Amino acid sequence: MDLFFQTLVNGLLVGGIYIAVAAGFTLCFGVLHVIDFAVGEWVMLGAFAVFWLNFFTGVDPLIFLPLIMVLFMVVGYYFQPLLQRVITNQQSNALLMALAFTFGMSILFRGSALTLFGFNQRSLTTFLSGKNFEILGISIPALRFGATVFAVLVTLLFMFLLYKTKLGLAVRAAAERQDVAGLMGIDSSNIARIVYAIYLGLTAMSGTFLGSIFSVHPDMGLRYTLFAFFVVVAGGLGSIQGAILAGIMLGLINSFVAVYVGGQYIFLILFTVLYLILLVAPKGILGKGW
Amino acid sequence: MKSKTKWTIMVLVLLSLSLLLSGCGGPKQSDDGENAEAERDYFKVGVITSLSGASVYGGNVTRRGYDLWAETVNAQGGIEIGDKQYKVEMVYADAASDPATGADAVERMVTTDEVDFLFGPYTSGVTLGVAPILEKYKVPMITGSAESPLIWKQKFKYTFGSIPAVDLTGSAPVSTLVNEVEGGAKTIAVIGVNDAFSKATAEAFKATAEQLGLEVVKYDIVPEGTDFTPLVGAIKELNPDVLAVGGHEQTHMEVIKAAKSLGFMPKAFLMHYGITTPDFINNLGTASEYVFGGAVWTSDLNYTDKLWGSTKEYVEAAEARWGNMPDYTEAASAATGEVYAAALAEIGATPPLSEEEREQLVDALENIKVDTFYGPIDFANEGDWYHNNVGLQPLTIQLQNGEQKIVGPAGVKVADPIYPVPGWEER
Amino acid sequence: MEYVDNTQKRNLIWIALLVIVATVIPFAISSFWLRIVTGVLMWIGLAQSWNILAGYMGYVSFGHGAFFGLGAYVTAIAMSLGVPFIISALIAGAFTAAFAAVIGYPTLRLQGAYFAIATWAFAEAIRQIVLVLPFTGGAYGMRLPAMLNENFFYYMMLLTIIGTVAIAYYLMHKAKFGLKVKAIREEETAANVLGLDVTRIKISVFALSAFFPGILGGIYAYWITYIHPDSVLAPVIADQMVVMTMLGGLGTIAGPIIGAVVLFMGNRLLWVFWGDTSFYLVLVGLAVALVILFLPSGLVSLVPRLGKKDKPKVDDQPNSSVTEHTK
Repeated sequence: MDLFFQTLVNGLLVGGIYIAVAAGFTLCFGVLHVIDFAVGEWVMLGAFAVFWLNFFTGVDPLIFLPLIMVLFMVVGYYFQPLLQRVITNQQSNALLMALAFTFGMSILFRGSALTLFGFNQRSLTTFLSGKNFEILGISIPALRFGATVFAVLVTLLFMFLLYKTKLGLAVRAAAERQDVAGLMGIDSSNIARIVYAIYLGLTAMSGTFLGSIFSVHPDMGLRYTLFAFFVVVAGGLGSIQGAILAGIMLGLINSFVAVYVGGQYIFLILFTVLYLILLVAPKGILGKGW
Repeated sequence: MKSKTKWTIMVLVLLSLSLLLSGCGGPKQSDDGENAEAERDYFKVGVITSLSGASVYGGNVTRRGYDLWAETVNAQGGIEIGDKQYKVEMVYADAASDPATGADAVERMVTTDEVDFLFGPYTSGVTLGVAPILEKYKVPMITGSAESPLIWKQKFKYTFGSIPAVDLTGSAPVSTLVNEVEGGAKTIAVIGVNDAFSKATAEAFKATAEQLGLEVVKYDIVPEGTDFTPLVGAIKELNPDVLAVGGHEQTHMEVIKAAKSLGFMPKAFLMHYGITTPDFINNLGTASEYVFGGAVWTSDLNYTDKLWGSTKEYVEAAEARWGNMPDYTEAASAATGEVYAAALAEIGATPPLSEEEREQLVDALENIKVDTFYGPIDFANEGDWYHNNVGLQPLTIQLQNGEQKIVGPAGVKVADPIYPVPGWEER
Repeated sequence: MEYVDNTQKRNLIWIALLVIVATVIPFAISSFWLRIVTGVLMWIGLAQSWNILAGYMGYVSFGHGAFFGLGAYVTAIAMSLGVPFIISALIAGAFTAAFAAVIGYPTLRLQGAYFAIATWAFAEAIRQIVLVLPFTGGAYGMRLPAMLNENFFYYMMLLTIIGTVAIAYYLMHKAKFGLKVKAIREEETAANVLGLDVTRIKISVFALSAFFPGILGGIYAYWITYIHPDSVLAPVIADQMVVMTMLGGLGTIAGPIIGAVVLFMGNRLLWVFWGDTSFYLVLVGLAVALVILFLPSGLVSLVPRLGKKDKPKVDDQPNSSVTEHTK
C-alpha cells in the first residue's frame, strides 16, 4: 500500500511540475490565441539565465526568482510586437503562421544556446535540492514540493487577477472580442504585450525550478514543450482550471505507468492519450477549451 | 494529347536510361593508389568522429587520443618501417553524430582524400553507418570507442575496435559487488535508457546478475527524457542492494538527484558510462562519491609501452597536452595508433598503401597482439566479438575522492571497494 | 485547355535540359558529391510531399517525418524477409499511404493548429512504438544488406522525385482535383456546402502525401544500410520538411524544390567547410523567422516566373480575426 501512496504523491508532484510550465502557456493562449512552440526554449533560457547568475555570484538560484521574472517580462514586452506582426501580416491561417514562427524561434534559441553554451550537462543546486521530508512514511522531495507550491500559487494568482481585478477584466475582454474591446477604450495591443510579458516571466521562473530538479542543457526545452502541450491541450486551450486538472491527470499517468506498467511505455501512453484527447475532446477534458 | 505523349515518352526514356546506367555504377576510387598520387613519404590517416552534434563531447575525447598519438609519433620521427621512418598526416571528417553524415564523410575521405587507413567514431551508430562503406572500398578502420556488441556481431572485415564491447566488460563490476565485498549484494535493480549503448549495458548487467544468482527485483528500459523520480521511488520501496544504471552522464545525474531527493541510498550505485566525466563529478559534488562503474583501463595501471615508455608517462603527456586526465576512451584512442604502427611495420608497407597492402594490413591486424600502455590489444578472429579487442581485462572502478580507483577484480585492485557506501547525510 | 504557347515550349526545353543533366551527373562528379546530390533529391521529394498536404490543402502537419520512418522500417523488415528491394520500397509506399488513410480519417477532422499538434503527437507515438516493438530492433535499429552502388541510389531517388513532382504538378496545377483541394484550403465550409466530398478528398491527399515519403524512406534505408529510431523517426525530419517548404514557398511547385536545395546544400556546405551543426540550427531558425516576417510567400516569390500560381489567379482574401474564431 505504501508504494501506492508514494506513487500517488509522486504523480501529484510531477503534475505540479507540468502545471508550473503550462500555467503561463495557457494564459498566453487563452488571451493571445498564439500557440508558442518555443515555450520549452523559454524555460531553457530561464534556466540558463539563473545558472549563469548563480555561477558568477554563488547566490542560491531561488533567490533570483523575482529578478528572472522581471528580466523576462521586459524581454516579453518588447518581443511581443514581433509576434503580433506575424499574426496581422498574414492574410489567412495567421495562427498557423504564428505557430511556424514560434517554431522557428525555438530552433533559433536552441541553436544559439548550443553554439554559445556547448553540449555539457549542467546542474543547478538550491537550498532545497536533495532534501526531503516525510509525512506518514511517504518521502516528499522538497524541491518538487516547492515547484508544485509555486505552480499552485501562480495559478491562484492568475485566477484572482483575471476574475477579480480591472486589468483582468480588460484582458478577458480583449481576449473575447479584440475589436469591440478597442471600442470600449481598452488598448488591446498593450494588453497583449503585458500578457505575453507575464507569460515569459512565469515560464522563465519555472525554468529555475526545473533546472534544479532535472538538469540544465540546451536541448532540455523539447521535454517541456511536450509537457506544456499535453497539459494545455488536454485541459483545453485557454482554460486554467482545465490545465490544473490535466496536469494532475498526466502526472498521475506518468507515475503509475512508470511503477506498475514499465518505464518504456510512459511516453507511448502519454502521446497516445494526447492524440486520443485531441480526437475525442479537442476542447479539452473539461470542454472549456477554445 | 500532345503534351501528355511527350511526357510519357520522356519518362519512359528516362526510366530505361536509368536502369541501364545504374548497372554501370560502382566504386570510383582507383583500385591501387599508385597512379592516383605521386609517391608520398607520409601516411594519410583519416579520422572520422563526431566533432559536432550531440556526441561532440565524446567525439572530441577520441580525437584527443588520436591527435596525441600522431603528434608523439611524428615527434619521434614517424612510424618505423624497416629502416626508414614515415610521418603521419591526419585528415579529419565530422560525422556530426549522424550515421548518414558519417557515411558521406567516409566516402569523401576514401575517394577524394585517399587515406591509407582510418581511426573510427565515438558512437556505435556512426560506426554501423560507416562500416559498410569501408567494406566496399576495402579500407581498414579501428575505432577507439564504440562499445556496442552489435557492431562485432555484424562481422565487418575492415572494422576493428580497441575497446571491448560492453557485454564483455559489464560483468566485472557486478561480479565484484557480489563476490568481493563484505556481505555481497543479493538483490539488484537495473534500469537503462532506450538507446543502443545504454540498453546493451543494462542487458549486460542483468545477464551477469542472473548468472551470479542475484535477484533482479526490477528491470526497466526507459525512453530518453524520462522523469526518474517515480521509477526510483518504486525502486526505493523494493530496497535492492544495488541500483545499476545504463546510460550517459545526464541519466546518471538525474538518477542520483532523484534518489537523493527521495532519501534513497542503496548499498551501491553502479553506473556506466560517464561517471568519470568531469560533468558528472562537478555537477554532483559529494553525491557522486562512491559510485561504482566499469572500465578497462585507469591511469593507475602500469604497463610498458613502446611509444611513451609506460602508462604513467602517457598519462603525464596527455595531461600536459590537453589539461585533464585521460579517461579510458581517450586512452584507447591513443593506443589504437600503436596497433597500426606495429602492423604496418610487420608487413613492411610504405605509403601510399595499395589495395593489396591494405589487405595485408587487415590480415596483420587480425593476427597481431600489441602491448601498449593501455594493455594488450588483440583482435578476435571469430565469434561474437569478431575484430573486437579481447585482450583486456574488465575492471571495476569506484569514485573515491573524486578519482577513479580500481577496486576489482581482487587480483588487480588498487584500492578496497567501499561497500555499503555512506548514506547521504554522512557526506 | 491545352495549348502549347511559347512559355510552355520554353518550360519544356528547360525541363528537358534538366533531365539530361540529371541523367549524366553521376559520371561527372565524385562519389562524395553524388551522395550529397542524392540527399538533395531526397529532400526535394520529402518537401514536395509535405507541400501537397500543407501548401495545397492547407493542413499543416508537424509529424510528417513519421511516414518516412515507417517507410524505412517497412522496407527493412520486408528485405529481411527476402523481398527484393524495389518491391519492398513499393510495399513501404503502399503501407504508408494506407496507414495515412486510416489515421487521417479521424485526424483530418481537426482544424488548423489542432491538426498540427495531433500529427506531432502521433508521430512521436509511432517513434515510441517502434522503440518497444520486438521486430523493429528497438533502440538497436535494423541493418539492411549492403548494396553500395551510388549510381543506383541516385537514379532511384531521381525517379522517385520526378514522380513526386510530376504527380504533384499534374494533380494540383492541371487537373480539376487541384482546384478542389485548393478550395478546401481557402474555405472548407463553403467547399463542403458546394457539394465537394471534402472528407474523401482530404483523405486522398493525405494518403498521397504519405506515399512518397514512404518510398523515399525505403530508398534511404537501403542506401544507408542502417536505421534506428533516432535517424529515421526523429522530429528533425518533419521539422526540415516544414522549414524547407516554408522557406521556398508554400503551395507552389518550385517552392519546395528551392527550399530543399537551399537548406540542404546550406547544411552540407556548412558541414564541409565549418563542421558545426549547432550553428546551422541558428541559421535555420533565423531563416524561418525572417521568411515568415518579411517574405511569407517564400523564396520562390523572389523569382516572379516561378512564383506564379495558376491562371486565373485566385486572390487571397484577407481574413479578419472573426473568421479564425469561428473555426
